[in-house]
Amino acid sequence: MSDRILCKFFLHGSCLKGENCEYSHDSKNPPNNVCTFYQKGICLYGSRCRYEHVRTCQPQSLSASNVPRPTLCSDSQPQSLTPSMNRRPKAGFAGDNDDGDKSPNNVVHYIHPREYPICSFAAAGDCPRGNQCPHMHGDICTTCGKKCLHPFRPEEREEHTKECEKKQKHIEALKKSQEIECSVCLDRILSKATPGERKFGLLTECDHPFCIQCIRNWRSSSPVSGMDVNSTLRACPICRKLSYFVVPSVVWYSTPEEKEEIIDTYKAKLRSIDCKHFNFGNGNCPFGGSCFYKHAYSDGRLEEVVLRHLGSQEGETLIADTIRLSEFLGGLQI
Amino acid sequence: MIDFSRVQKELQDCEKDKDASGIRVSPKSDNLTRLTGTIPGPIGTPYEGGTFQIDITIPEGYPFEPPKMQFSTKVWHPNISSQSGAICLDVLKDQWSPALTLKTALVSIQALLSTPEPKDPQDAVVAEQYIKNYQVFVSTARYWTETFAKNSSLEEKVKRLVEMGFGDAQVRSAIESSGGDENLALEKLCSG
Repeated sequence: MSDRILCKFFLHGSCLKGENCEYSHDSKNPPNNVCTFYQKGICLYGSRCRYEHVRTCQPQSLSASNVPRPTLCSDSQPQSLTPSMNRRPKAGFAGDNDDGDKSPNNVVHYIHPREYPICSFAAAGDCPRGNQCPHMHGDICTTCGKKCLHPFRPEEREEHTKECEKKQKHIEALKKSQEIECSVCLDRILSKATPGERKFGLLTECDHPFCIQCIRNWRSSSPVSGMDVNSTLRACPICRKLSYFVVPSVVWYSTPEEKEEIIDTYKAKLRSIDCKHFNFGNGNCPFGGSCFYKHAYSDGRLEEVVLRHLGSQEGETLIADTIRLSEFLGGLQI
Repeated sequence: MIDFSRVQKELQDCEKDKDASGIRVSPKSDNLTRLTGTIPGPIGTPYEGGTFQIDITIPEGYPFEPPKMQFSTKVWHPNISSQSGAICLDVLKDQWSPALTLKTALVSIQALLSTPEPKDPQDAVVAEQYIKNYQVFVSTARYWTETFAKNSSLEEKVKRLVEMGFGDAQVRSAIESSGGDENLALEKLCSG
């Protein structure tokens, strides 16, 4: 137990797990200060990283990367560790698990190249050592142009490529969005004074761009007498098409699919927020089943929407609101 | 709070194609809340050849509230008051949209001049004449255009009024105080 890693929450006096914590609450144990990103080969902070950029397995002793190094994992050793060795608690920790079934003396192993990390400098864009670099340089990612694709880790490559393409798409969308003007204030939306103003307000039914503030201002302005709210305030100021809601977005879209995605993301986000009107079942939400926010009771159960349908005299089906008996009785003439 | 930067942009935009559209907007005062719009009378109507001035007041809520517009040039038209110059136009009232601008509103007014709507009148007398006696309406409208909307140069106006027997300086100040309206200046001169 003594070679457990020091709990970083405990170090700050804020570990909530107490006795049950899987990390050590003994301040004599070394903290794990090794940068996990560096281990994977890419730490974007480079030399500015506050974690230590050391390898848990040194390149020259690569043969031991998967197998515990006997010097590190035996319980009697920690006191004799030199400070530089102290920085490798991860290897010691990993060794703990493997100790049982593998002989500590068995050091000759073939290590699959996927276990070698790639050079983090090359992955971040530039390796000063170039061809002289002792570390493996990754393949060039066609999207970001950096040598950050590990040649032997297909999942990692795929993940990076996906992530990178997504980022690139976002950057391109942002570039295209720069030029777009709001038709109300006539300003370029992404050049507005405060960051809060630099947002588009998407209307669901048409493709006219507005800044979120202008379109919300217009929709919330008080109607003049004789004004039909649906054909004016809730309509697009340009084409007068009726949209029931406005979706905020930091980028403008160029295809209907992109718009769909923005709207879906927005709705999904709202659905994770508890509705303040519903108030965990204690309140009454005026939007009922059409509310975008989450209607969940305090025990986590979701509200089940039961719509009551009424047949009107004309044969149409209407959805009934909550009817109170008092309203019915109040309307009676006795 | 008025969005002055938008008003400023609209003015610049108007300035750019004033030759093509013939529509001008210029500020009356420094703070851009009071402006004057000028539209040419549409060709093929009794208003052809006239230049009509419109007083524009930008309200607090602009552009979420429509600008207040009123003819300062007298016009004989069923949807414009012959007395006050008040305009009956939906886009200046309940059909306003913040995507509309001063220029588009003035274009709408220009369109209103060519397509009168006597069934929804602002001036009942004019509307009645339009329906019952169209020829008389046309000639009255043309006469009003000739009299009030044709811009003779300042010197011509001064000359005509001086010929009536008023002093030169007196005439010039009267024309200036009545905003270039010759008839109004004459009224002022006569009333002393």
